[in-house]
Amino acid sequence: MRAFVSSAGLVAAAIALAAPLAAQDAEHPGKAPYDKWCSGCHGVEGDGQGYGTEYMLPRPRDFTQALYQIRTTESGGLPTDADILAVIDDGMPGTAMPGWRERLTRDERDALVDYLKTFSRFFETEGTPQALDLGRPLGGGADGIAAGREVFERVECWKCHGDAGRGDGTSAPDMTDDNDDPIRPADLSEPWMFNGGGTVEDIYRRLRTGLDGTPMPSSSDLITSGVASEEELWNLAHYVRSLGPETFPEPAEVIRADLAEGALPDSPGDAEWAGYERFWVPLVGQILVAPRWFAPSVDGVWVQAAHDGRELALRLSWHDPSQSPDSIWDAWRQLVEASMRPVEGEPAGPDLPDALSVQFPAVMPDGRELPFFLGGDSRRPAYTWLWNAADGVSEAFGRGLADTESLGAGDVSAQAEFDDGEWRLVMRRTLDAGDDDRRLSFVTGEAIPVAFRVWDGNNGEAGTRGSISSWYYVHLTEPTPASTYAYPVIAAVLSALLGLLIVRRAQSASATSEDAHPAPAGAV
Amino acid sequence: MRYLKHPLGAAVAIMVGSYLLIDFGIVYIPPLLGMDSAPVPNSVVLQYLATVFAGVLILASWNDERWAEFKRPFQETMVLPERRTLRSILMVALPLLIGLFVFLQVRPTVAAPSTLRSIHPAPPSQIDFRGRTMVLAGLNNPLRADGSISEDYEEGKRVYYQNCLPCHGDALAGDGHYARGFNPAPLSFDDVGTIAQLTESFVFWRVAKGGPGLPVEGTPWHSAMPVWEDFLTEDEIWSVIVFMYEQAGHSPRTWEEDEEGGEH
Repeated sequence: MRAFVSSAGLVAAAIALAAPLAAQDAEHPGKAPYDKWCSGCHGVEGDGQGYGTEYMLPRPRDFTQALYQIRTTESGGLPTDADILAVIDDGMPGTAMPGWRERLTRDERDALVDYLKTFSRFFETEGTPQALDLGRPLGGGADGIAAGREVFERVECWKCHGDAGRGDGTSAPDMTDDNDDPIRPADLSEPWMFNGGGTVEDIYRRLRTGLDGTPMPSSSDLITSGVASEEELWNLAHYVRSLGPETFPEPAEVIRADLAEGALPDSPGDAEWAGYERFWVPLVGQILVAPRWFAPSVDGVWVQAAHDGRELALRLSWHDPSQSPDSIWDAWRQLVEASMRPVEGEPAGPDLPDALSVQFPAVMPDGRELPFFLGGDSRRPAYTWLWNAADGVSEAFGRGLADTESLGAGDVSAQAEFDDGEWRLVMRRTLDAGDDDRRLSFVTGEAIPVAFRVWDGNNGEAGTRGSISSWYYVHLTEPTPASTYAYPVIAAVLSALLGLLIVRRAQSASATSEDAHPAPAGAV
Repeated sequence: MRYLKHPLGAAVAIMVGSYLLIDFGIVYIPPLLGMDSAPVPNSVVLQYLATVFAGVLILASWNDERWAEFKRPFQETMVLPERRTLRSILMVALPLLIGLFVFLQVRPTVAAPSTLRSIHPAPPSQIDFRGRTMVLAGLNNPLRADGSISEDYEEGKRVYYQNCLPCHGDALAGDGHYARGFNPAPLSFDDVGTIAQLTESFVFWRVAKGGPGLPVEGTPWHSAMPVWEDFLTEDEIWSVIVFMYEQAGHSPRTWEEDEEGGEH
């Protein structure tokens, strides 16, 4: 792994560490914070070749190219100092770049802005970059969003981002950035993952400036050429924002399975599901056991749950740009595998189906000890519903990922549909599993541990390569017992009676003492 | 001021003041003086306030005169004809409040079970590292023995960025780009409550054995910390430990300072 670290970089870092502050006077003030906090990913030379580079997609920025995605300047232009500072301050959501506003002083961050610019001569040779005048926000509202949809179709955003905006357009399978690294068109329904921020203003700015170094072009020339007006682009931004939820989802620890009033919804398309709250479970790459996976395709799953006292139904929906296996995505898969190969060995191969698993403890934990969240362990086994697009659903029992036995089709039923970059899957099973202690019987009124894993076959995911979550809980609600209302009433009545008693006694005691005292006074 | 002279007024003032100090003062005052602090758990706040309340009662009943004075407002509210309105309001409001409190207690909730999780459980006295027995007690980082650690820092940096970064983050604050996927959240080494309190041998144990190697009180089933002895050599682990302390600006606890170091 040392191979890609230049020896010059090592020496420079060693000197920076060893040298006392006084000796660094001649050095750029941004060098020390850069070497300490930035070089691990971006490289001591600023070429984007740090130690962490091959362990993340998208890759860290190569500053020597002076190619910056997030700017306020025209397409192809250099960023302003404020633009660079904004990315340092806020980071880039959806990537490994964190925000540094709270970590470094303003002086350090300003010095970093200046230091980053020394990695490319363009900043010396070109004039001071000017921010585009983006004017005041226009459009919006229901009409604006509808008009924005029309612009979305007219300027063919769907070619990359897909008709529903889930990053599954027809051009998505062979998309690379300027460094020939694989790159996904943004999933427009997840604005919290937008590299340059998820507000309407952020989106409009991205439309006007483009994302340099990526296939995302600037739409400013649409205005100059008269294809779209400024207001239409604002409406496009409003439309894009409307594709995501109004507030960004926060993971809830407990997924509530409401008691169904009628029949349990059966298919993923059943309108009944709209009546059940959906809970967001973020997923990340499996990096606990080898081979690890640093390029996960699926970043979360929406979970809805319902039960009718007899059966539990889960509806899971997640965004996956492709229905795997699909040979159109072979080049993409190979590219992702190639970018990960130096890290974790040989790829899983072609023709992998999309898959999802829901894991429970094999038996309800007594006390608080659970199985290990990733596949269970030798003392506390896990029970899993495993669905894949090729073979349907099966059950499994495991004491760790390496020690798992299939229980066959079991009595879990599954119905799945794939629509425009989204899988929707409903899995159902009876609450009672009988005497089989390898299969959990679901209880109501208690928090049942549950964990999720998802695989995107066209992204080379299978086995330990995929997305995982740690333990969450699913809680099957019970009808509210009458005692819930009776106890407070009893408590209130009893305390009122007690209060009356105390006041009465105090008053009679005071009356007695008044009777006792005035008498002698009256005698005087 | 007049009300504060009254024993009941003083008691109320002491209770309110104590509450503010315990629940907010302990959190917000030390940072003003440049010290670190942490919020007090609710159960502890309750314990402290119960202790203060006992003290307040002792103070109020210091002598019979003071005790009578302390009780007088209660007595008067229950007895005096001109307090009738207040009395009626209280006699309706208090039972209703009690009823509400009972309802909040008995209503069905869908909360996750509370887990008591020891963040730094007691380490074993020795571990088996790749088939070799390592005694943890008194064990120091061998890389610090030869003086210069700059090469070890650089090697540790490589190990950190290729393994630890996704969860523990560039700033070592436990907020890497994978941190959102895991509960409990990855530890922040920036925090004075983590590696700054531990010996390097303790950290070595935690890195080598990961989540699955935790004792039960550390809830090994929740932890996403990998078993790093499956990925890293002994030297790589010691070097990443050097890097963590240097980068976070903390010094490890040493055995000279405290023979029991790390066992807490």
